[in-house]
Amino acid sequence: MTSAQPVPITGLGCLCAAGPNLSACMQNLFGGMRVPRPPSRFSTTHPVRFPVFEIMDDLPLPGAGLSRTCRLALAAAHEAVLDAGLPPDLLRGQRVGVCIGTTVGCTFNNEEFYRDFRSGGSPAPELVRRFLQSNPASAIAREFDLNGPCQTLVNACSSGTDAIGIAADWIRSGICDIAIAGGADELSRVTYNGFISLLITDSAPCRPFDRDRKGLNLGEGAAMLVLESARSASGGNRPPRATVLGYGLACDAHHLTAPHPDGAGLKRAMHDALAQSGIDVGNIAFVNAHGTGTPDNDRVESGVLAEMLPGVPFLSTKGYTGHTLGAAGAIEAAFTVACLTAGRIPASAGFVTQDPALPVSPVRTVTAVRTRAAMSQSLAFGGNNGVLVIGGSPA
Amino acid sequence: MTMRLAIQGLGPVGGFGSGTAALERALVTAASCPHLTPVPSFSADTAGLEAFVERKTLRRMDHFSRMAMLGAFLALEDAGRLTAGRERLGLVLASGYGAARTTFAFLDSSMDHGDVCASPTSFSTSVHNAAAANIAIVLDLHGPTITVSQFELSVPSALLTAGQWLTAGRVDAVLFGSVDEFCPVIEYGLQRLHADQNPPPPQSSPGGTVPPGEGAVFFLLTRVGEESRYGVITDIRLGTVANGEPRIATDAVVVVNDQRGAMDADTTAPVPAPAPPRAVSYTPVYGRLPVGPAFDMAIAALACRHGLTAATRNHAEPAAHPIPPPSHLLNAPSITCLVLGRDNTFGLITSSGRG
Repeated sequence: MTSAQPVPITGLGCLCAAGPNLSACMQNLFGGMRVPRPPSRFSTTHPVRFPVFEIMDDLPLPGAGLSRTCRLALAAAHEAVLDAGLPPDLLRGQRVGVCIGTTVGCTFNNEEFYRDFRSGGSPAPELVRRFLQSNPASAIAREFDLNGPCQTLVNACSSGTDAIGIAADWIRSGICDIAIAGGADELSRVTYNGFISLLITDSAPCRPFDRDRKGLNLGEGAAMLVLESARSASGGNRPPRATVLGYGLACDAHHLTAPHPDGAGLKRAMHDALAQSGIDVGNIAFVNAHGTGTPDNDRVESGVLAEMLPGVPFLSTKGYTGHTLGAAGAIEAAFTVACLTAGRIPASAGFVTQDPALPVSPVRTVTAVRTRAAMSQSLAFGGNNGVLVIGGSPA
Repeated sequence: MTMRLAIQGLGPVGGFGSGTAALERALVTAASCPHLTPVPSFSADTAGLEAFVERKTLRRMDHFSRMAMLGAFLALEDAGRLTAGRERLGLVLASGYGAARTTFAFLDSSMDHGDVCASPTSFSTSVHNAAAANIAIVLDLHGPTITVSQFELSVPSALLTAGQWLTAGRVDAVLFGSVDEFCPVIEYGLQRLHADQNPPPPQSSPGGTVPPGEGAVFFLLTRVGEESRYGVITDIRLGTVANGEPRIATDAVVVVNDQRGAMDADTTAPVPAPAPPRAVSYTPVYGRLPVGPAFDMAIAALACRHGLTAATRNHAEPAAHPIPPPSHLLNAPSITCLVLGRDNTFGLITSSGRG
């Protein structure tokens, strides 16, 4: 990769268990607040009620009739567009791209429908209609009446990171002048059962990078970034919040659910992201790590961070949000921008006891950082690795 | 977006068989016939995969991943690059519904035996990017890999990013593929939706739409510069049908992807394509599936390479977009593959043999 033009980030929106908007999320992150609890919207027959990070049900969401994933995506998109100072009239009919990552949001796995079908019933097709209407990228394009390229990325847990990186590439290539990019995923009984079946879910609140970590907790949420070309952004009323400097993605080609033991794909993605950003490792102020709390992920990630970015502080925010799957990379990118703006990072929630098997550990307390640039990274099922290098506001 | 992408290899897998020869044969002889059980559908056979991959490697791989992997190997073989270096090879995969059957197999495991016994194997192979991951593992492919799911527009949407990667130099070649499998559950839902919104007129015969299909098509794409074996993709566009869009060259042949029967009637616009003989449809050759436009792309690529001989239809319904005589395709300066999505959206991919 050669270095490329920075892409301005002009608007941000985020909601998850940490808060109903980005400002509230950051307040709770810096306050050390986290609210894992047993799932309230579904039940299972597991003997243990594994905690999750849910968004409170009393939060009003747009998009009635669509999937919860879509409604979360729309809420975050509205916040981001407002934050960018873009009147919806200005976007209507324009060539605005939408690139969204998800996992649950693209899967038709409705248990009620399927149970009826497999028992010989004739389930009404309304749930199918809702599924077909709930492609997250299409729903955002429809909501704002956009006329640009739509892409829903289903790269498992790196989807949100990849969506932002790909949208930034679209802006650089002139495919569109503005893009709404991010990720969204709802909590689902199906994924809850799935992750428990893989034995990588912690029955206690998750503890990323901690010696006693047992696995992840699922979460839900969405985050959106408004990306604009330099020409478009300079025409707006507000300076960019930050810039996408670089993006790298690479595949481990090793295992469907386990990372490469040496982090080969992650290293390559980090290398490519740095190369595209045109900045040196020394300019990375901090890393928002994937940090799920699973033994394998945290071991590999900590090894790669020690090798590639020695001495650079890092954290996992999944102790505040849970693992939001396709939304995770986008939520963490939004947090990264907010931390660059604040000049500090929160404590890595859930980290208490250093693991002697890990070469480096995350920050335990709120830590001041230089504001030049930061990295946000995601590792995913399928061996995908996505890395964003984000620059602080030029102002 | 105007792009220039060279197609170096093709790997089609469908109800017609596998490989370019099988697709050409189906086009010429109407050899692709839908299977009749459990419902009429074009099902794909992946037995040919064992020529490329050891049987033990395939042991836990589901049908969805197998179709994709066979398509990927066929495309590399067709391009003469089965053993070429893959350091700067990217993988972009499009799928409308993902590994649908495996998704329901996972639900079966918990419904049959309880949540505690949900199958980890079914769960991990049901994720949409499982096919791309399996391909990357078997091919030892470490470059960028993404999977895109945009229903009927999955193919043009994913192709946009594949083209961007090549244009921007992120990779030197892209294995661009598409895959969807027939799933009785989803097909039931689609048919119920369609029937609810389109009650058949009295005395009409059933089967007014193309039967569902399944399969995979892969392409090895490079930047233009080296000679292109199957012509050049010159334009990829996505947008809304309005204000004269999509604009299509007046002398292009338009391959219209027929997704009738798979969409809500109120979300589709009238086909903004020219009248026959300039507008054609090959959907009856491979069946109705979200990634159908990839099959159209493959047929356009064959036309660019061979001056594809004209096909005949095996579908009982009178042709809405009849297939033109070969001389017409040969004379067309470009072939535009058009697909309509929900909410009056469209995707358009234009190829030309004159790279």
